[in-house]
Amino acid sequence: MTAPLRDPAHRVSRRAITLWLLEALIGFALLVGGSVLVASWIDGSGWSWLPSWVSEHIWWLPVALAVVELPFVVIEPLWRYAVHRWELSGDVVYARSGWFSRQWVFVPVSRIQTVDKEQGWFERILRLATVEIRTASYAGSSSIKGLDVGVAARLAEDLAHRAHELRDDAT
Amino acid sequence: MTDPADRPDPSTPPDGPKPPSPDQPSSDDPSGRPVSFSPPRPYGPGAPPVSDVHAGQAPEAWGGWVGRVPPSRLSPLVLLIDPVRMLPSLLLPLVGVLFVGGFSPSSFVWAALAIVGSVGYAAVRWATFTYQIAGDRLELTRSLVSRSVRTIPLERIRGVDVTTPPLHRLFGLAVVRIDTGASGGDKQEGELDGVTLPEAGRLREILLRRGQAAAPADAATPAGTSYTAPAVAAEERVYVRVPWQWLLYGPLSGAFLLTPFALVGGAIGLAFQWGGEFGLSERAAFSVGEWLWHRPVLLVLAGLVLVLAMPVAGGVMYAVFNWDFTLRRRDSSLVAERGLVTRRSVSLEHRRIRGYEIAQGILERGAKVVRIWAIVTGLGDSRTRGQLLPVVPRAFAVKVAAEAIGPFEAPLRPHPPVARQRRLFRAVAPGLAVAAVAFLLGWGWIGLLALCAAALGVPLGLDRYRSLGHAYDGARLSVRSGSLPRSQAVVERRAVVGWTVRQTWFQRRSGVLTVIAGVGAGSGGYAAIDTGEAQGVHFAAEVTPEWITPFLDHP
Repeated sequence: MTAPLRDPAHRVSRRAITLWLLEALIGFALLVGGSVLVASWIDGSGWSWLPSWVSEHIWWLPVALAVVELPFVVIEPLWRYAVHRWELSGDVVYARSGWFSRQWVFVPVSRIQTVDKEQGWFERILRLATVEIRTASYAGSSSIKGLDVGVAARLAEDLAHRAHELRDDAT
Repeated sequence: MTDPADRPDPSTPPDGPKPPSPDQPSSDDPSGRPVSFSPPRPYGPGAPPVSDVHAGQAPEAWGGWVGRVPPSRLSPLVLLIDPVRMLPSLLLPLVGVLFVGGFSPSSFVWAALAIVGSVGYAAVRWATFTYQIAGDRLELTRSLVSRSVRTIPLERIRGVDVTTPPLHRLFGLAVVRIDTGASGGDKQEGELDGVTLPEAGRLREILLRRGQAAAPADAATPAGTSYTAPAVAAEERVYVRVPWQWLLYGPLSGAFLLTPFALVGGAIGLAFQWGGEFGLSERAAFSVGEWLWHRPVLLVLAGLVLVLAMPVAGGVMYAVFNWDFTLRRRDSSLVAERGLVTRRSVSLEHRRIRGYEIAQGILERGAKVVRIWAIVTGLGDSRTRGQLLPVVPRAFAVKVAAEAIGPFEAPLRPHPPVARQRRLFRAVAPGLAVAAVAFLLGWGWIGLLALCAAALGVPLGLDRYRSLGHAYDGARLSVRSGSLPRSQAVVERRAVVGWTVRQTWFQRRSGVLTVIAGVGAGSGGYAAIDTGEAQGVHFAAEVTPEWITPFLDHP
């Protein structure tokens, strides 16, 4: 964190780790499953134009993918939990997200056009919610994932209320 | 920029008209579109404020305006244009009918019926389409099969486009397009195809002026007063009339260079399509091709002619489109007018303009000429419609932009040297990688080509670094990037709706980041790429200190 920006005040809910873990596991299963399909297809096809070392060792592909990918399944949720933070102060929403690459977003409440609270499947099971904050520009829009349902509802309501009072239509 | 309309106006955001409400997330989607009720949609999709309604589902305000101002029709002269426009599509079926009928009298009767029918259809379309300015709205009514009314609130109108295609010109008519900047992208919101030129001028005046005058309180004013002009006297001022010599810069942009190929391709396609009708078989075409194939000299000559024709034909096309380019200020709109055959005039409301973008290709940079667009809120397809000037000398463009929109003279601050390494790496590495693989596999030629590409990457990367820059002069911010096409955006401070700061893992290791100013106009975001970590954050803090400084590490 060498950019001269302080950490936003609040962490997201701890249950967000579980959410990211579930999402990572699904991605992992799809990737490895897909590579198994590809491998069995190539194994059975007997294509002669492939170099022999490819078709003989094709089953290394899913194995290698699984070995490389597995640590990330665990690392990503933890890393994200360390990075994802948010704050609403001085009528500005300040949020940080990402893991390998990170992103800071500043959205002044006066420019907010819509605030949505969304819940996906897993989020509903885990009692989490996402707050989507939209302005007239993609680069001034933010979505804060992994908030506790109660926190998200309160934040969305506060934002909507404040935005209504402050609305500035220079854009 | 102190228009009365600049004050906060809760009823006219570009595409998020409603105040935020967490209770109804789906209907808050700014890109949401209304359900259309008319099966053959005459105008393309509309955005929430612009509604298609059927008689049965008339808005509450229905009774409020009926009968105040009589609705107008398009000029009846369009009846002369419509059949002519339909001719090409009618010709084949007609010829078909005549052939099938063996040119018997009855076949002529059928053909005549078809023509009469199409003319009749045009007449019915004309008779059933009316438009009307009622109070603070423009109503377009089409009652062909089912009655559909399109209501466009005047305060929502962003621009009015008046075009005169050749046929229309012949009869003194014009096409008026009304842009409401709805989130339907570049879809036209309303089109009046075929009004007289004076009527087009009158409409533009009323629509744009009313759009500006329409304040929230305005809804209460009685509709009868809708034509009273605002206190500001009509003011017209020509900023620039581009001299025809500058049309010679056109081919430098490269956009029109492919014209000859497109023309030849079109001609060949047509020949195949029509050849069949006139008994020319494909075999004949192939034998012509074969005959040519055995005379390579002819082929090479043809190719040479095409290549030589490129700049000429491209230049001619460009000149036809940009003939007599005039930029003027009328009331509080910028009006750009251009074209030789089809004269096109685009009005941009001044209070919606947030800045401009200056772009240069590599050839254009050599000739020190630029293209320039206005950054306008809620204007779809801003690269075509927001065009302020054709290709003109840079100094001139900057002067016009400063006069028409606002000056920006602050020097751009360079980005840290590590950004140069990153540009260089990106420009050179792909070529080197391909070369390495190719040499490993023993494909010498491809390897050599890739090495050449990598070598060319060196000047490219250096130039891309030199292009990087950002600045803020107290009223406007500016960012620049790119090389072969290089573009610089100048945006008003008040247009910024938020900031995104991005840092990839590689950027973090190099200590740089990308700062994107979110702007509710133009492309939505303008990025200062690879600024130093402190430099980038402080740039954002300099433009909008109240939003960023509370979150700085050492305030």
